[in-house]
Amino acid sequence: MRTWMLMYRKELLEMARNYKWIWIPCVFVLLGVMQPLTSHLMPQIIDAAGGLPEGAVIEIPPPVPSVVLLETLNNFGLIGVLVIVLSSMSIVSGERNSGVAGMVLVRPVRFLSYITAKWAGAMTLVTCSLLLGSLSAWYYTELLIGDLSLLDTLYGSLLYLLWFAVILALVVFFSATLKGAGPAAFLSLALVLALSLLTGMLPAWMTWSPARLTAHAASLLTEGQLLDLFWLNILVGVTMIVVLLVSAAALFRNRPLVD
Amino acid sequence: MKEALESIPIGAIVPFIVLNVILIVVALIDLFRSEQTRGPRWMWILIIVFLQLVGPVSYFIVGRRREA
Amino acid sequence: MSLVEIKDLNKTYGSKQAVHRLSFGIREGSCVALLGPNGAGKTTTLQMLAGLLAPTSGSIRFNGLPAQADLRRYIGYLPQQGAYYNWMSGSEFMHYSGQLAGLSKKEAVQRTNDLLDRVGLQEARKRKIGGYSGGMKQRLGLAQALIHQPKLVILDEPVSALDPVGRREVLELLKEIRKEATILFSTHVLHDAEAVSDDVLMIRDGELVLSGTLRDIRNAHRQPVIYIEEDVPQALQTWAIEWERLAHVTELSYQDGIVKLVVEQPDEVKQQLLQQIAQHRIPIRRFELAQTTLEDLFLKVVSS
Repeated sequence: MRTWMLMYRKELLEMARNYKWIWIPCVFVLLGVMQPLTSHLMPQIIDAAGGLPEGAVIEIPPPVPSVVLLETLNNFGLIGVLVIVLSSMSIVSGERNSGVAGMVLVRPVRFLSYITAKWAGAMTLVTCSLLLGSLSAWYYTELLIGDLSLLDTLYGSLLYLLWFAVILALVVFFSATLKGAGPAAFLSLALVLALSLLTGMLPAWMTWSPARLTAHAASLLTEGQLLDLFWLNILVGVTMIVVLLVSAAALFRNRPLVD
Repeated sequence: MKEALESIPIGAIVPFIVLNVILIVVALIDLFRSEQTRGPRWMWILIIVFLQLVGPVSYFIVGRRREA
Repeated sequence: MSLVEIKDLNKTYGSKQAVHRLSFGIREGSCVALLGPNGAGKTTTLQMLAGLLAPTSGSIRFNGLPAQADLRRYIGYLPQQGAYYNWMSGSEFMHYSGQLAGLSKKEAVQRTNDLLDRVGLQEARKRKIGGYSGGMKQRLGLAQALIHQPKLVILDEPVSALDPVGRREVLELLKEIRKEATILFSTHVLHDAEAVSDDVLMIRDGELVLSGTLRDIRNAHRQPVIYIEEDVPQALQTWAIEWERLAHVTELSYQDGIVKLVVEQPDEVKQQLLQQIAQHRIPIRRFELAQTTLEDLFLKVVSS
């Protein structure tokens, strides 16, 4: 546990030294700000442009606060995920390729600790970024659109956070098993996309899918309640994280560190 | 348009601008500190400064040479 | 008394046998050179000893430790390509390494101070490793391998990548280190082995071909040898063929105008040769009686 904490703290320090602690939260906060801003401006922009042909009746409904937040979370799920995956794609392979992983693993350190410390370090950054992003989305929505429950905002964000944790475990897994950062990012994104699309298109078949966590968040924000099988999705998500990290450590161990 | 922008309270404008500036400044600091970048330096300066949000982000992801 | 016993160590990658039935012991307090040409399996062997690579079969036992013990606690290791977190400073990397190895923060700081002083990095300790030169990185590598006062220090080609100055610095450091730890290092240069080690292990194609103390090997394999150098080009070409048939000549080579004869009865052969040379007025420049060197042995072992 002591060595795990050491490695975890090293991850946090590294992310501070390469400015990840600044730019990734910045990106999430800006993403959080953008949706309320555009929702607020949109009707006035169209109005000001005066581009509506005479007689055309376009009813622009006033934006609903919970929907604006949901759209923000959706943006986190798309652009945020892209940023998370791309910025952590060499999380294990980078140290392996440079050889520094070998310098660490000759110490009395468990491979599983090494892998999980990396995941936990990245997860800490993602958690802070996502929460900051959601909070600023909430603030801007309150300011520009209308009343929004802070508690619902937090619940919705936490559901997304668990989904992000699964994605990050995928990235760590591929980064530990593949040589290049590019293939790891590509495979992670492809799997996340496939899982999301299939979950959307074949809801009857994919009731177990952790990608449903985002649908739970949507339902919570718009209907005020979760969908069915919520706990199954949580369970599958957590199981996937555990399985991915444990097998990443096992596979990492069985390949020579230096070629 | 002017009206539309004026309808935004100052409490919303300021953080938005400040964050964008922070991103740009941090990206530039890193750019000038690093010995190598992927691609020419002047190109990254233009990208970072003129492409809002996308510029600094793509610098951090693509332009930065990972130091192990 | 031996510190480590290696028995029947094997490593196969697919169909390739990188290390084959390697068995040897390392005496406590000795400095052992693992000598062999490139691709002989040196790195694979060291990585298995360091616990980075699982052997296909065989055992590595530390004296007084149970078979299942995590040996990494007792081993300091410097790979061929030492790699560091370039964003850390020298002392940060040392602190991190030391604490990972089980030292308390305080001990790690103290050892870091001590070691960086010894390897001459005290001045540069606060600078980022990314700005270190190759020689500085290698010295940092030595220091981090020693941070937890390991029983065995394993160094993979510690001097090969260095320029002559850096090479001498590191060899001097090795002489220092060997006073307090057992060292096993690999090299493909015999000269480096002779400079610091007491024992050598020569391996070729993953197999141990020769082992022992330098002195024993030198004595056991010392053979009288006669060098004859010609004064006129090609003068000795035909004679070389003739001399090969002489009694007591075990080996003969003719290269760059020099005939080299490895012999069993040097006096007898010498008499015969000198007689022939005088009788036939063979133009020679040099006639020398000598002993085969370790270099000869090494070349023979490596090339045969």
